[in-house]
Amino acid sequence: MSVRKGVIDPAKIDAQEMFIGWAKAPAVDRRFLLGALPLGLIAGGGASWLIASELDDPGAGAWLTNATHKVTGALVSAPYPMLRVSDPPAPFGMRTVLVVAQGKCTSSLKLADKEGLPVEASGVLIERKDRRMLEVPPFLDDWLNPAFIDMPGAVAALEPVSLGSARLAGTIMDSKCFFGVMRPGRGKTHKACASLCIRGGIPPSFWVRTKDGRESVLLMTDAEGGAMPMDILPLVADAVEAEGEIVRVGDLLQFRADAGAYRRI
Amino acid sequence: MGHQYKAIQWNGNKVVYDLYLFAFVALFVGVFMVVGLRPHDSGHTADPVVLAIRALGTAAFALLTVVLAIGPLARMNKRFLTLLYNRRHLGVATFLVASAHFGLALLWYHGGGPLNPFVSLFVSNPLYDSIPGFPFETLGFAAFLIMMAMAATSHDFWLNNLSAPVWKALHMLIYPAYALLVMHIVLGALMTEKSMVYPIMTAVAFIGVSGLHLIAGLREWGADSGMKALKAKGWIDVCAPDDIAENRAVITPLPKGDRVAIFRYDGRISAVTNACRHQNGPLGEGRVVDGCITCPWHGWQYRPDDGVSPPPFTEKISTYNVRIEAGRVMLDPKPNKPGTRVEPALIPVAGGAS
Repeated sequence: MSVRKGVIDPAKIDAQEMFIGWAKAPAVDRRFLLGALPLGLIAGGGASWLIASELDDPGAGAWLTNATHKVTGALVSAPYPMLRVSDPPAPFGMRTVLVVAQGKCTSSLKLADKEGLPVEASGVLIERKDRRMLEVPPFLDDWLNPAFIDMPGAVAALEPVSLGSARLAGTIMDSKCFFGVMRPGRGKTHKACASLCIRGGIPPSFWVRTKDGRESVLLMTDAEGGAMPMDILPLVADAVEAEGEIVRVGDLLQFRADAGAYRRI
Repeated sequence: MGHQYKAIQWNGNKVVYDLYLFAFVALFVGVFMVVGLRPHDSGHTADPVVLAIRALGTAAFALLTVVLAIGPLARMNKRFLTLLYNRRHLGVATFLVASAHFGLALLWYHGGGPLNPFVSLFVSNPLYDSIPGFPFETLGFAAFLIMMAMAATSHDFWLNNLSAPVWKALHMLIYPAYALLVMHIVLGALMTEKSMVYPIMTAVAFIGVSGLHLIAGLREWGADSGMKALKAKGWIDVCAPDDIAENRAVITPLPKGDRVAIFRYDGRISAVTNACRHQNGPLGEGRVVDGCITCPWHGWQYRPDDGVSPPPFTEKISTYNVRIEAGRVMLDPKPNKPGTRVEPALIPVAGGAS
């Protein structure tokens, strides 16, 4: 008998000189590191490139923070703050610009006593295709001034026009992030943020896509045209469907359905 | 070695290690940002903050995958000991990158709203009863807390004061943390992004880490099975002196499952426990360097005859009585108190006496 059964001889497994952290690395380890370290950088950089290049298109949103925009129009406070701007070449001769506060707490904007007044508002523009939003500071004095203009009839008094009932399937988004503040401002990774924004008074939008790729963004209200209640929060950012009424108010499409009408699909 | 509590005991290898680590993270995040900020088909670019959150989170996961792969790789190929040596810095760097990811995500997605960001983290997505809808953020937060506890106790000060078993148990939580992070990714990014690259890469990372541990574990298990065959009483006949390479050891099991490293050096034989006082590194796989047994993991050293670290260090390990009888190395399986000096067995030279 030479070596007892079960005895391990590490020298037979690795006869090379040993790397010791506080000493100069042996040649065998230096050779290993000379190959492994560049390989590690190439692998890390390559993986990073692959992951970043495969990210989904964030969508056609923009947050134009490099300039302050002035918008003049009639102020509307319900169901959500917005400005109706006269724009004769545009469809219906007007354009609606939603108004949100900086951050996620638009409910802090108190505009009820200025309902219908012509105003000039200053803020940062958020755009997604033909949808516009103005992000303003939390205090009215910082962004809202009276405007001495005549409001064309197309803007001053708008009657909702019912386009009929429909069952729509889509995703509930918070308009601010979806219009361009977050890019992407959708999907499950954005669900908590969207829920928090809507909780803070940011108008919810219903993002509906048809099978042929067309998309439509409808402002969500309850069945009576009021602001959506917080019951909708658990369904935010999920695929849902609901039976409701499509209503046109100027250039803006609303989807009117109570929170209970939505169900996850 | 321990008992000289400096924040970091720098040496040339650690400096190179940390510079490389910094370069790796900078390259990873830099490439991610540059490529991620390109205009997409819509003509628009992604939000730089969202991209930074993703870049940092991805980098942290990649680093943690490497952290976990180094252990089994070093068991299978000793060249990877070069990466194991300073792995704690890699772990702390992973935590710092994860902290940046967590901090930015908390501010960007949960800050500025009507709720405290930490409250929002737990209530903004209430679908705790749904697997696909589950709030993935909470899983990442749980993993982050584990990593924070590990980073905070990473110094040898805590290893010595918490005791090795407690410290080791705490740091084994990295495995549940990794599982939590995999689920954080699966239930978060993978449910948002459409590309199949992400599930494939996540699976490769998870299966790779699991597979490496499985392979290394099976090898260890095979070795353990062989070692458990020992059923000896009294002094154990281990081998002939010439079966041990100069300045190396053989590792022999004991009936109770402990292991002893029997070293040959300068015509002598000495035996000590196989477990390093530092992190239970396998001393028997080390070498005798400058007259001291040197652990292959972090270079801790002990004198072969008494198991005491050379001054100014004071660590002690158990020694074993050993003798040479009829050309055989005989080992007393009863350990001596750590630091007990044992007269080395002299290897007989041709024509001489032992």
